[in-house]
Amino acid sequence: MNGFTIATPAQVLAIDVRLPDLDYAAMAPMLVLFGAACLGVLVDAFAPRQSRHTIQFALSFIALTVALLAVIREARVGSRELTADVALAIDGPTLFLQGTLAVLGIVALLLVGERALEKGGPFVSQAAIPVGSEADRRQAREEGATEVFPLTLFALSGMMLFVAANDLLTMFVALEVFSLPLYLLCALARRRRLVSQEAALKYFLLGAFASAFFIFGMALLYGFAGTVSFGGIHDAALLATTSPLLLFTGLAMVAVGLLFKIAAVPFHVWTPDVYQGAPTSVTAFMAACTKVAAFGGLLRVLYVAFDRARWDIEPVIGTIAILTMLVGAILAVTQTDIKRLLAYSSIANAGYLLVGALAFSKEGLSSAMFYLAAYGFTVIAAFAVITLVRDDDGEATHLSRWAGLGREAPLVAGVFTFLMLAFAGIPLTSGFTSKFAVFGAALGVGEAWPVALVIVGVVTSMILAFPYLRVVVMMWLSEPAEQSPTVAIPGAFTSAALMVGVLATLLLGVFPSPVLDLADRAAEFIR
Amino acid sequence: MSTVLAAAGVGAGEAWTFWILGPLAILAALGMVVARNAVHSALWLVLVMLCLGVFYVVQAGPFIGLAQIIVYTGAIMMLFLFVLMLVGRDASDSLIEVLRGQRLAAVALGLGFAGLVGAAFFRALDSRDAIGLAQANAEGNVQGIAASLFTRYVFAFEVTSALLIAAAIGAMILAHVERHKDQKFTQPDLMRARFAPGNYPGPKPGPGVYATSTSVATPGLLPDGRLSDRTISPILPKRELTEAESTPKATEGR
Repeated sequence: MNGFTIATPAQVLAIDVRLPDLDYAAMAPMLVLFGAACLGVLVDAFAPRQSRHTIQFALSFIALTVALLAVIREARVGSRELTADVALAIDGPTLFLQGTLAVLGIVALLLVGERALEKGGPFVSQAAIPVGSEADRRQAREEGATEVFPLTLFALSGMMLFVAANDLLTMFVALEVFSLPLYLLCALARRRRLVSQEAALKYFLLGAFASAFFIFGMALLYGFAGTVSFGGIHDAALLATTSPLLLFTGLAMVAVGLLFKIAAVPFHVWTPDVYQGAPTSVTAFMAACTKVAAFGGLLRVLYVAFDRARWDIEPVIGTIAILTMLVGAILAVTQTDIKRLLAYSSIANAGYLLVGALAFSKEGLSSAMFYLAAYGFTVIAAFAVITLVRDDDGEATHLSRWAGLGREAPLVAGVFTFLMLAFAGIPLTSGFTSKFAVFGAALGVGEAWPVALVIVGVVTSMILAFPYLRVVVMMWLSEPAEQSPTVAIPGAFTSAALMVGVLATLLLGVFPSPVLDLADRAAEFIR
Repeated sequence: MSTVLAAAGVGAGEAWTFWILGPLAILAALGMVVARNAVHSALWLVLVMLCLGVFYVVQAGPFIGLAQIIVYTGAIMMLFLFVLMLVGRDASDSLIEVLRGQRLAAVALGLGFAGLVGAAFFRALDSRDAIGLAQANAEGNVQGIAASLFTRYVFAFEVTSALLIAAAIGAMILAHVERHKDQKFTQPDLMRARFAPGNYPGPKPGPGVYATSTSVATPGLLPDGRLSDRTISPILPKRELTEAESTPKATEGR
């Protein structure tokens, strides 16, 4: 009988509650971002309207730089430890992914802060004003909301916590901390506001469902292991004498929450709508940083907590990976909107990342981390180009509008061609090296499932090359449409983001070894 | 099911509570989804939450059970209800199915999925007794929660503040319309503007009423036969009159 007892005063005194050791240096990246985000809220409340954007951008930029330096410092010290009791794991993958998040966050922040392309920036001034009302027309030329900067910082701090979380509870809190700002950011587009709000609502509702699955699975895993820490679940799985069904049911439900975030089929349906509806700079941020964070969390769950159950979960997650690659690649072929095309491509890329993750080896882990970094830079640059191709209604995202862009703006079209080739995995781009690394790691295991996954991966890569190359052909060989969009001259921020993205795509394709070595040295979880 | 409950060492009182409140909770949850009126929906949700609170207490979680009843049901849901009453409670959601047969498919798939998950839980909990309750309540329920919050999960606990801040900002930017200083008018300002030169102080003329059209988007005719823009709201698209409509028609006595 599970009766509860009322504690006597003697019992109350008997409990020894002591704050665990908190390694503040190791937690510094997250703490800096949390602090800066809270400061940003105050800036929004007190700074005069015309200087808010400058202050917010500077604050966010400095905070991210400091966070990056803190990660680098921690990596140079070479710390490998569990802190806050065992709630946080500061190990190689944590530091590599946190560093990646900081760099990608800075690049995405440049796009979020850009105001040269459109008067007032890409965000609406007041999202609460009903769409199409007279007040909405009045606010069309007003400055965009500056709350986006603290929200971005909150999301990034949540992502950094997500990759470091060493138990399911901390992971769940981190999941919510990075999801909630993303839902909000999606709703803040200046143009096509109804589509943007619809995207935010869809993302929010489906994300809430996914979170509910995650938390339900967490309860079941606690019932199995008596703890929610990854090390504890690992030990319980190791020592289990009775049926592990509770473990698998719990894992299945936790996996739903995580696979939703990485946009794996069949939990991918939100991706195209949200990628299309969100402001393009936010889409870039989501495509790069959310993928890094969600995969970091998934890798830790699979490698630390469930490596004993590997043989049992491989067929399930392997099937999901195959479906993800196939659905992503095939539906990408049918798309007519460039943002939806990249959304389906991002789904397919989640499949390739799962191939690396399912190798369950050091190489698999390091190649997946390298893939995350490489893909992040390319996808941010691709979305940066999309922000440049505009007409009177904002961005011209329909593919037919991109016809003949090569004659109008050879430089931008050339950059986009390079990025498309990188997505297609042509040698001398990061797309090739990262796919090579992931497939190589899977083949290195030499078992049936990874080999099958690699075969599907190669086939779908060939399918997926078709939509990319179709865009390239369209830009260079098609006649321009009558009402062709203009290519805006990028401001300093977009130029910088574009340059970083393209250079990283090129360098990681030509000289990948420094980053590959870094990922290789980092690829060891602690338990 | 009862064998499972018995195997897990469930007392008769707990079983009775479950069998009475379980169906009630499910019915209330269904009622919440089905109810057309938002206030009814909220009241159904209150019932669900009360049932859940009792479940938590019965399952040796008195703190979370009472928090559920006092905080969620008593405070948050009541506040929610007040807001619903204040904002207005007309059910204006459209019930048009965008995709044909979507609702039927959703019900079928939902039932199937619920069966799948229910079967998985049943098998999983049948195969092995869930552990962890005794150790969590070893020092007493409230003390155990306090110890968890301020030791192992202290950072997660602190980080929830970030979640609350983000949620508050979200509520602000999605619901709050800022009024600029120059948009705030006092009564004397409005009166002065009304009688200022260049403004007609009386009510504006109504839109045109014709034999062929009484639309509010149809501008009225001035005495000289011209159309007047002042007769229609500026946010309405002006309905263009055809030549035949706008020419003054000869009447019988003329």
